[in-house]
Amino acid sequence: MSRLPPPSRSHRRGVAEALGAPAIAMGVTFLAFGAAVREAGLALPWALGASLLVYGMAGQLVLLQFAAPGAAHGGVVPAVLGATAANARFLPMAVALAPWLGGAGWRRWLALPFIAITPWAAAMRRLPFLPAAERLPWFLGFALASWLIAGAATAAGHLLAPHLDPAARAALLFANPLYFALLMAGDLRLPPARRAILAGVLAAPAALVLPAAWSLLGAGLLGGTAAFLIGRRRGGA
Amino acid sequence: MAAPDLALLLAALAMLALRGAGLLVAGALRPEHPFIAWATAVSQATLAAFVALAVLAPVGILATVPLPARLAGLAAGLLGFALLRGRLLPALGLGLGALVAVRLALGG
Repeated sequence: MSRLPPPSRSHRRGVAEALGAPAIAMGVTFLAFGAAVREAGLALPWALGASLLVYGMAGQLVLLQFAAPGAAHGGVVPAVLGATAANARFLPMAVALAPWLGGAGWRRWLALPFIAITPWAAAMRRLPFLPAAERLPWFLGFALASWLIAGAATAAGHLLAPHLDPAARAALLFANPLYFALLMAGDLRLPPARRAILAGVLAAPAALVLPAAWSLLGAGLLGGTAAFLIGRRRGGA
Repeated sequence: MAAPDLALLLAALAMLALRGAGLLVAGALRPEHPFIAWATAVSQATLAAFVALAVLAPVGILATVPLPARLAGLAAGLLGFALLRGRLLPALGLGLGALVAVRLALGG
C-alpha cells in the first residue's frame, strides 16, 4: 500500500482531467441553460439551484419547460415528474458506479451529489485502471471541479443572455451530445460498450413513440437489456 | 413558496433519491456482478440514445438547427477524433465549427 500516491494527488489528477474537454463541453451547455433560464423570466438563484442540485441537463430542461412562469402546460407536479423521469438514468448510473467507489463503506456517499453523465462517463473509463485507493479521491476531484464549472457557466449564461442569440445557444447546446458521441467513439473497441452503444442507437426510435419524459430511459432500458442479454449469451457459449 | 421554487426543491430531492438508491443498492456488489453489468449496459445505451436523438430528432432550440448541419457537426467531430488519435478538444471544436458553417451555408 505504501507505493500508492497519497489521496491528495489523486484528487488533483481528477481535477486536472476535468479541466479539459469535459469542462468545455459541460461549460458551454450550462452556459446555454443559464441563458434559457433568464429568457424564461427566472432569477439567477433558480438557475444555480437547477444546475447544481438537479445537475442533469435533460431533467433541467424539462423542469424549466414546465416550471417557468407562463409555461403552456406548466405546474409543479408535471415539472417534478418530468424532470425525474428525464434524469432517471441516474439510478442505473449510480448502480454501475458504486462498486468503483470503495465498496460498502460510507465514503462512497461523498459522491452522491455529483453522479451525472459527465463525471460518470469519465469515471467508467478511468476508475477500472486506477488502484482501488485512488478511485474515490480521483472521482471526487473530477466531480467537484465539473460541478463548480457547471455552476460558474450557468451564472455566466444568465448574465450574458442578452448577448447570446438563439443560433449561438443552439450551437452551444450541441457541444454536449457531440462530446458524448466522441467519448463513445473511443469506447467502441470494448465489446460490452460497443454492444450497449449500438443497441442504444438502434433503440432510440422507440423513444419517439414513448411519452417525452420517459423516452430516454425507455430506449436505454430496451437497448441496454438487449445488449446485456446478447453479451451473456456470447460469454456463456 | 412560489411554484417554480417548489418544483425545483422537489426535483432536487427526487434526484438525490435516484442517486442514493443506486449507491445503496450496489455499493456492496463487485464490478463483475451481472446486475452491475446490466446497469452499465442500460446507462451506456441511454447515453447512446440521448446522442442519437439529439442529432436526429432534437427538441427545443436544437431543433432550429437544420438536420444537415447537425449531421455535419457529428461527422466532422468523429472524423477529427479519428484523425487526431482521440484528442477530444480539437475534435469538439471541429464538430461545432462544421455545424455553424453548414448552418450559415444553408442560410439558417
